[in-house]
Amino acid sequence: MNRTIIRLSAQAVLGRRRGIVLVLVPVALLLLAVVVRLLTDGDVGFQATAGLGLTLALPLVALLASSAVLGPEVDDGSIVYLLAKPVSRHVVVVSKYATAWATTMVLGALPLALAALVLDPSLGRRALALGLGGAVAGTAYSALFLALAALTRHAVVVGLLYTLFWEGVLGSLLAGVRWLSVGAWGRAVAGEVSPLLADEASTGLVYSLVAAALVTLVTVWFAGDRLRSFTLRGDE
Amino acid sequence: MTDPSAATPEGRSVIHDLGYRPYTGPRLGQGAIARSLVGTGLRNAFGLGRSGRSKVLPFALLALNLLPAVIVAGVMVLVGLDSLPIGYAEYASTTQVLVGVFVAAQAPVLFSRDLRHGTIALYLARPLGSGTYALARWVSLLGATLVFLVLPVLVLYGAALLSELDVAEQTRDVAVALGLVVLLALSLAGVAGLVASWSTRRGFAVVATIALLLIANGIVTAVQGIAGAEGRPRIGEVTGLFSPYSLYRGLMSAWTGVEAPTPPASTGMELAYVAVLVGLSAACLGALVLRYRRVATS
Amino acid sequence: MSVLRLEQTSRWFGNVVAVNGITMSVGPGITGLLGPNGAGKTTLIALMSGFLAPSAGAVTLDGEPVWRNTGAYRTLGLVPEREVSFGYLTGRQFVLANAELHGLRDPGAATRRALEVVDLLEPAGRRIGTYSKGMRQRVKLASALVHDPAVLLLDEPFNGVDPRQRLHLMALLRRMGAEGRTVLFSSHILEEVEQVARQIEVVVSGRHAASGEFGEIRRLMTDRPVQYVIVADDDRGLASRLIAEPSVLAVALRTDGGVDVSVSDFGAFALRLPRVAREHGTRILEVRPTDDSLESVFSYLVGG
Repeated sequence: MNRTIIRLSAQAVLGRRRGIVLVLVPVALLLLAVVVRLLTDGDVGFQATAGLGLTLALPLVALLASSAVLGPEVDDGSIVYLLAKPVSRHVVVVSKYATAWATTMVLGALPLALAALVLDPSLGRRALALGLGGAVAGTAYSALFLALAALTRHAVVVGLLYTLFWEGVLGSLLAGVRWLSVGAWGRAVAGEVSPLLADEASTGLVYSLVAAALVTLVTVWFAGDRLRSFTLRGDE
Repeated sequence: MTDPSAATPEGRSVIHDLGYRPYTGPRLGQGAIARSLVGTGLRNAFGLGRSGRSKVLPFALLALNLLPAVIVAGVMVLVGLDSLPIGYAEYASTTQVLVGVFVAAQAPVLFSRDLRHGTIALYLARPLGSGTYALARWVSLLGATLVFLVLPVLVLYGAALLSELDVAEQTRDVAVALGLVVLLALSLAGVAGLVASWSTRRGFAVVATIALLLIANGIVTAVQGIAGAEGRPRIGEVTGLFSPYSLYRGLMSAWTGVEAPTPPASTGMELAYVAVLVGLSAACLGALVLRYRRVATS
Repeated sequence: MSVLRLEQTSRWFGNVVAVNGITMSVGPGITGLLGPNGAGKTTLIALMSGFLAPSAGAVTLDGEPVWRNTGAYRTLGLVPEREVSFGYLTGRQFVLANAELHGLRDPGAATRRALEVVDLLEPAGRRIGTYSKGMRQRVKLASALVHDPAVLLLDEPFNGVDPRQRLHLMALLRRMGAEGRTVLFSSHILEEVEQVARQIEVVVSGRHAASGEFGEIRRLMTDRPVQYVIVADDDRGLASRLIAEPSVLAVALRTDGGVDVSVSDFGAFALRLPRVAREHGTRILEVRPTDDSLESVFSYLVGG
């Protein structure tokens, strides 16, 4: 890991406008939790809030963070300034991933647990489970989106289609999609930690953890490998 | 050696008339410029007139969006159902993710690139006001969104007519759906255009638009579901005003009878839904015009 | 003292050959990479800086390949044509980050030194987003100089730089060349290359058209006409005798005095001219090449 790259990436992530949107997403989730709490005694709205947080807010935060640390620099080629250095490209990617991951944890997974606590402070284990599920999914999401950003200029759209269309639309129609769905792995982990979140269509703890770890390692390595072959082009 | 003065007599210097002339014919006005800008923008939104790679994304999304309609049409023709398995208006609601991604992904094509690369100055150096420019871009995006939304409706309509369903009934349903779709397109184009002009980073604009549209929709849906379950539909109705998708869903439910949580129950509320959709797009358009006016003067 | 070497290097993109079998060696001193737009200069610099894999051949820095070798950046500094998009950083922060990435012992001091070299100390506290084009160019240069590299590659460094800063930049490059660094810069403008570099590499359509000191290149092109103006005490007499020489292609009298001579074989002409003058008792007052500039080398090379 390289402190300078982490610092630069953090500045890119929390830069003015992106920072605002990044913070707005968890704020919206927590506001929803507060509103739901005021409307009901807490339990009715839990499914809706947790669902929104896990299937929408978390991947969006991961996508915003991961695309911020790599996307613009690769897009306009100014990443050459970072790459023309005696620093291994894998170190560059891992440092950038660390930034995106930390952002996803703080602004994606942590708010999940907080929202659950807002809904019912007495169910601490449920909140912890949701937070852990979010952490596992967020770890894989941010790695996956980072690799997409290293692979294509349309990383953001591809990432959105993956989460919203593949995991969301197709996932709700075809049960088998869950085996290839980062969000489902997160839900499975949450279900293992707290029986309140258990789901019969779970992918199982071991499979989910192994799959998330594998996706994370492979995609981060892949992103590093892509950067090793980074090519400088003239203006198109 | 020759005498230089003899070799260059007075008046030898001359600028030859090669026939270059300034254009003195009639010039087209703002309207024509705007019209051609709208046309180009509409083509560009689908990657036409741009590189092959920029065609991939819009057409892939369009194909994904049309796929269910084509399948439905095929089933209709083969099996011979006596009604469409999915309503015309319901279709856009079901594929709202694709619609959102399309609008979010293509809005930066029209709104971000000129700002980011500074080519906006080239447009504004013509007799084209910044307001007209913003309006033309918005109309292009609106048109592209409408193409995206209307095509599957037409496919379904064609399938219904080929299956000899009641023409009058189907036509009425299509008309209602088209009205709804126009309202949705108006608001989506406004929101996406505004976000894209605000953030000139393409990827960021896409996520920000989607976050805005889908998270608002998610929150509204959650609250509506809870309000319905708690027996307080009034809260759900009012909450429905806060996101384009829920506004669309509410009106769709009120006008076509498709089930949706806490649709607007009174005519007054329906009017409010329409007013918010139109007002939202007008506000976005106004903000766009202001944004480009500021760009033009700074 | 570092040497960049290209051995039969080619690079193609699909059907388009951007760089075609180029062999060159770039050593200490200033080298100008000259060629028209689209000749493959940026591709060559990308190959030299390890940001493009050669399709064939090898690119080495002191014997080590530069592709996929991040260690090469210890000795190599690159000033790409790309704009710095780190607009949210100040000039100092940006250069400091570059210094840190190089793992320098005292990045602060290195930053100050680099900023001083490019004369950017005073505005270094401002955000890069507020910089003019010339300042951005200089902050890019500072970021490439911060680790005191033995090899410096610059892609179109004079683009968009105002004349005063251009002179400053040229002086800087000359100084670095004189210090024994290997400096290579690309340009499509002859005057620029002419003012800074004696050693040039000419690239046209991806091919290595010429290499060497530009006056020598000029003289090597013996099969191409060379233009001189010769002023003598008897222009007309000299002209009539010169046209008899096999090395002379054409002679014309100038209206303001002197003879325009078009020479096909420079070497033979240089030997014959003084003899012809002496044999006929003509005094030669002035011999002046009208086109012994890079401009003509270039236009011949490009035109031919």
